[in-house]
Amino acid sequence: MMTFYFGRLVEMFPFFLSGLWMTTKVAFISLIVCTLIGFVLGMLRANDTFFFKHLIGVYVALARGTPFVVQIFIVFFIFPEWGLQLEPFPAALLAMAIMGSAFICEIVAGGIASIPKGQWEAAASSGLTKVQQLRFVIIPQALKVILPPLVGQYVLLIKDTSVVSVIGVMDLTRVGWVTVMRIPEGLMVFALVGLLYFAISYPLILLSNYLERKMAR
Amino acid sequence: MIEFKGVNKWFGKLHVLNHIDLKVQKGEVLVVCGPSGSGKSTLIRCINKLEPIQKGEIIVNGMSVHDSATNLTKLRTEIGFVFQQFYLYPHMTALQNITLAPVNVKKIAKAEAEKIGREKLDRVGLAEKADAYPAQLSGGQQQRVAIARGLAMSPEIMLFDEPTSALDPEMIGEVLDVMVSLASEGITMCVVTHEMGFAKKVADRVLFMDEGKIIETGKPADFFDHPQTERAADFISKILSH
Repeated sequence: MMTFYFGRLVEMFPFFLSGLWMTTKVAFISLIVCTLIGFVLGMLRANDTFFFKHLIGVYVALARGTPFVVQIFIVFFIFPEWGLQLEPFPAALLAMAIMGSAFICEIVAGGIASIPKGQWEAAASSGLTKVQQLRFVIIPQALKVILPPLVGQYVLLIKDTSVVSVIGVMDLTRVGWVTVMRIPEGLMVFALVGLLYFAISYPLILLSNYLERKMAR
Repeated sequence: MIEFKGVNKWFGKLHVLNHIDLKVQKGEVLVVCGPSGSGKSTLIRCINKLEPIQKGEIIVNGMSVHDSATNLTKLRTEIGFVFQQFYLYPHMTALQNITLAPVNVKKIAKAEAEKIGREKLDRVGLAEKADAYPAQLSGGQQQRVAIARGLAMSPEIMLFDEPTSALDPEMIGEVLDVMVSLASEGITMCVVTHEMGFAKKVADRVLFMDEGKIIETGKPADFFDHPQTERAADFISKILSH
């Protein structure tokens, strides 16, 4: 029986690859977007403007303090009531961007906060603008602190993309659900699903470990 | 050149600058001393707006420092600042530390800025350390690079906030030597320090602060040998006794 199902599974392998491709697409695009937004928010949050600091603080707390599956339901089912109707794929990207940016914002803000105040003051004293202080002096130093947890966060976000299956995006996880209805060998199907996720995450885990060792020096 | 008009500043309830009136002339070398917490560092940090003030006005070169209409970048390019803890940028070489502001603030061409940078490094006796990173330099060398960094903007005013306090004793001399030679060049200097030797040698005036107030000012010889107030006398005896 096992071998029979295994043969079926091999036949369906292209379907898995298409799921892997969708997962990769969701992950890749959302990670880029999250990184960009996360850095901008993190820099604003590290600034001492009261308004930004607290507004972003509220957003970060909400995005980090509620389950991603709830957030994605809100984006996909509730946003249309407010006039924003999205297909599953863009809805998935938007939800990922909202959630992931919050986590990355905190990592970036934490990294910036770890740089001594004197570095800002030295840069400010020489006439550099706030943006120049960040760009030339603060961020290059903060990156050492930011990079290892950032890559670690990428791994978590890649795994979180599995939640987008609940709104019908045909990603790796959804491929697993669909397949298991035809091949009732759950362990085998989801072992394959897990293995394919692992194939993307593991290199990043290694990278994160490597960066951690390198930056510690 | 620098003028304080009724300047008041509070940190919460602490009245850290208490009605300061002060004029520093062009080319003058002013030494500020006083016990810790007397407001002396805060005083010079206000001059380039590292600190806000709550009352009064500070005028530098005709610019009102804390007026939001003042071009802060222009103000700061005319003032060099040297910190107790150096605060060199650790990810840049000595030369890159020095050329960062000339290239990005004054928009000087990179090659030209590097030429100026090397001159300034030579000026502080570190010509051969252009490509060294701060971590590869001793404390005294780092502080001299920090001074060169300030000088690279050709400022009219240099502010020093306890520039030798974080240094091992054997390195204090090399930093003071650089400062002495600067003083002789006619640059306006405000130096927070307890280095009496330096004060006696080059200061035009010593200013003694306590509890946010200017208690006493005078020529260094007069101040150190014949302080007018008990608090100053007490302070001098304390820094002499070790």
